Amino acid sequence: MSLMLTKEDLAKYPFLKQSIAYIESMQLNLGDLAAEEYSGILRKALTRIKDSIDRKINPADLSDLESEIISYPLSLALVYGSKSNWLLNRFATIEAKRVEEELRREPRDKLLEIAKSGFSWEIEPVDLRLEWEELPFSIPLQSYLEAATSFNDPHWKLINRYVKGGRVFLNSGSLARLISEGFKTKIIRRASERELHNFRIPEALAPYLDEIQRYAQENMQFDDELPQGLVSDARPPCIAAIMEDVKAGKSLSHMARFALTTFMVNVGESVDDVLKLFGNVADFDEGKARYQIEHIAGMIGSRTKYKPPKCDVLRSFGLCVGMDEFCRNAKHPLNYYRNKLRRMRKPGGQTGARDRKKGV
Amino acid sequence: MHEIVRKEFREYYSGLRAEDLEIPDMPEREFAFLQFGGEVMIRHMKFLDPQSLKGYIVENTPAHIYHSSAYYKAPEATDMNEKGWLGADLIFDVDSDHIRTECKERHDRWRCMECGRDGTGFPPESCPNCGMKKIDTRTWICEDCLEAAKKEVVKIIDEYLLPDFGVSESDFEVFFSGHRGYHIHVRGGTFRMLSGDGRREIADYVRGIGLDIRAHGFREEKSGILVGPDMKDGGWRGRVARAVYEFVNRSSLEDMRKVVAPTVAKSLYENKEKFLRNISSYPPYWGGLKGYTLESLEKIAFASIKGLTCNIDERVTIDSKRLIRCPNSLHGKSGLRTLRVNYSCIDNFDPLKEAVAFRHGSIRIYVKEAPRVRIGDEELGPLKDKTLEVPLALGLYLICRGAAEPR
Repeated sequence: MSLMLTKEDLAKYPFLKQSIAYIESMQLNLGDLAAEEYSGILRKALTRIKDSIDRKINPADLSDLESEIISYPLSLALVYGSKSNWLLNRFATIEAKRVEEELRREPRDKLLEIAKSGFSWEIEPVDLRLEWEELPFSIPLQSYLEAATSFNDPHWKLINRYVKGGRVFLNSGSLARLISEGFKTKIIRRASERELHNFRIPEALAPYLDEIQRYAQENMQFDDELPQGLVSDARPPCIAAIMEDVKAGKSLSHMARFALTTFMVNVGESVDDVLKLFGNVADFDEGKARYQIEHIAGMIGSRTKYKPPKCDVLRSFGLCVGMDEFCRNAKHPLNYYRNKLRRMRKPGGQTGARDRKKGV
Repeated sequence: MHEIVRKEFREYYSGLRAEDLEIPDMPEREFAFLQFGGEVMIRHMKFLDPQSLKGYIVENTPAHIYHSSAYYKAPEATDMNEKGWLGADLIFDVDSDHIRTECKERHDRWRCMECGRDGTGFPPESCPNCGMKKIDTRTWICEDCLEAAKKEVVKIIDEYLLPDFGVSESDFEVFFSGHRGYHIHVRGGTFRMLSGDGRREIADYVRGIGLDIRAHGFREEKSGILVGPDMKDGGWRGRVARAVYEFVNRSSLEDMRKVVAPTVAKSLYENKEKFLRNISSYPPYWGGLKGYTLESLEKIAFASIKGLTCNIDERVTIDSKRLIRCPNSLHGKSGLRTLRVNYSCIDNFDPLKEAVAFRHGSIRIYVKEAPRVRIGDEELGPLKDKTLEVPLALGLYLICRGAAEPR
């Protein structure tokens, strides 16, 4: 074990080289963990998953380090065994948030050690003191881009970073976030690896997998359910702006048309409703437009229902009109829509989904 | 296309040394060809060495020859998933068509395909008469357009690739595309494995997309004092600071008024020297002017960086599986060569002279219509409805552009 990293760290940060080696050294068999003597660990693993479903972020339980360390691979096995992308994403997100909170309490040298042990980034300590702040770490450009392109906040765009000589300079908070995001990516990527495609949870653990799946079923519905038809107040600013242009009869770029159409189709508007929208546009050709909308809706042609482009793409095409509070937590216009709807439905939210406002 | 062009292309390729068709890691690249008059790209070809590539080219004489920016395990596989992507060069494509130059007034025309309205110069996004976007363009290139494209190339390399991205001189190559502009191929290991998302960040970085100056040290302290970065800082941080310095230094009161409120412009203009002294002191002080806020500073910053952002075709940079012209191949729309440019001598590089492939002989042509054109040392036009004998390179250029026919 490294001089700096303790057994507590192995419990807090399951992605460390040392954590993985520690677990491997125990030579545990997954099926055996259903045995009575491990019931404490099993209970921990189940709580860990249920907490993630409930979006509860708890710090690592350091009262029994060994159980805490083993509960991670066990909970991960159950999540992979569920074959649910929703659960996978939720678990990875909450684990990453927990790790980020733990990391923010760590001193710089520990942070560096963790980053080096967990990832193949060639991260270096530097002493860059700017006028009003310090950036004590640097990471190769490519590693930064791999880890940070999934962040939506403009703050993470490469252009808003201190970039010099092929390296990106970071403060401790940013490095903590990169590590936690790197951890999340590891969990999610691993699921698509070939060896996991045929992975089945051992028979002895099957009842616990059922328990998790039931719990997930009961708690996920709300997330995925969208009302049929557009709720105007939940539109992201980019879509609202395109709709304004349509209303004004302005000619739209191909990307603007595509974004608007895919958005409408995905929030449950009918082809006729979408067609009506475009009626004002100068070069409107109904026959052609119907064909294209039906194609996008997956009714004809490749039968793929197209999704709107993600925020990055809209931004590159100059269709992003600026951020609002919801944009910061969304990297996709549909995410935005879903999040805002959720907020609106909460008691005290702006409006109920039933107050459906249609049209432009 | 006229048989004569094909014949001359074949002769050019026959005389070419095979080594001139060499590209790094050739067996891992996909090759693609477009035949004269053909519309379908012949793709998924693999060549182990320049000799076999040359053999294929001489035999088939395509009008356009491309190789993939990507490296593949099996470049010959027709299914993209089976190709086995192993990474890709990072490409910057600078096209003079996308740069607003004054010379376009002299040689470019556009016409609305809907209402027939036409005009000269850079084409409008939509017709000023009917608002439609179906605009037909007839564009030409001249020394001025290509010079503007060259400046963009130098900007990308000197402002971004070398200082910010840490690319070394041996990691990139610059090519004249053989027609409208330049390509920069970055081959070093740093960028090779970048995903499309990562490449988008690179493209946005050099285009200035998504810049938030507040992320670069500009902020208002609780006391109301404006602080900001130092001109010696790296990346966009220092770039913005230097840009603001230059903008304020060279701007007239009128220039400033176009950017900020009249009172702020006046205060800034009258205190120009003090302001410049303050922002170049250490630590820099960015405030102290009447009516001047972070918002006005933001406006000035964005006005200042206009000339610093790069005009590239971002789709090319973002694409990790792009087909790109082969070095020393001929461009079927100009008859000029795709030519490697020695970057240390780029200032003196004259593409319309050095990329000429046909240096001897002449040809008799009938010119329908052409603006002034120069190829090599020969100039012609503007002219219309004329039959004349011209040097071969110039004649082929006009034929390839569709402006002339052999007689």
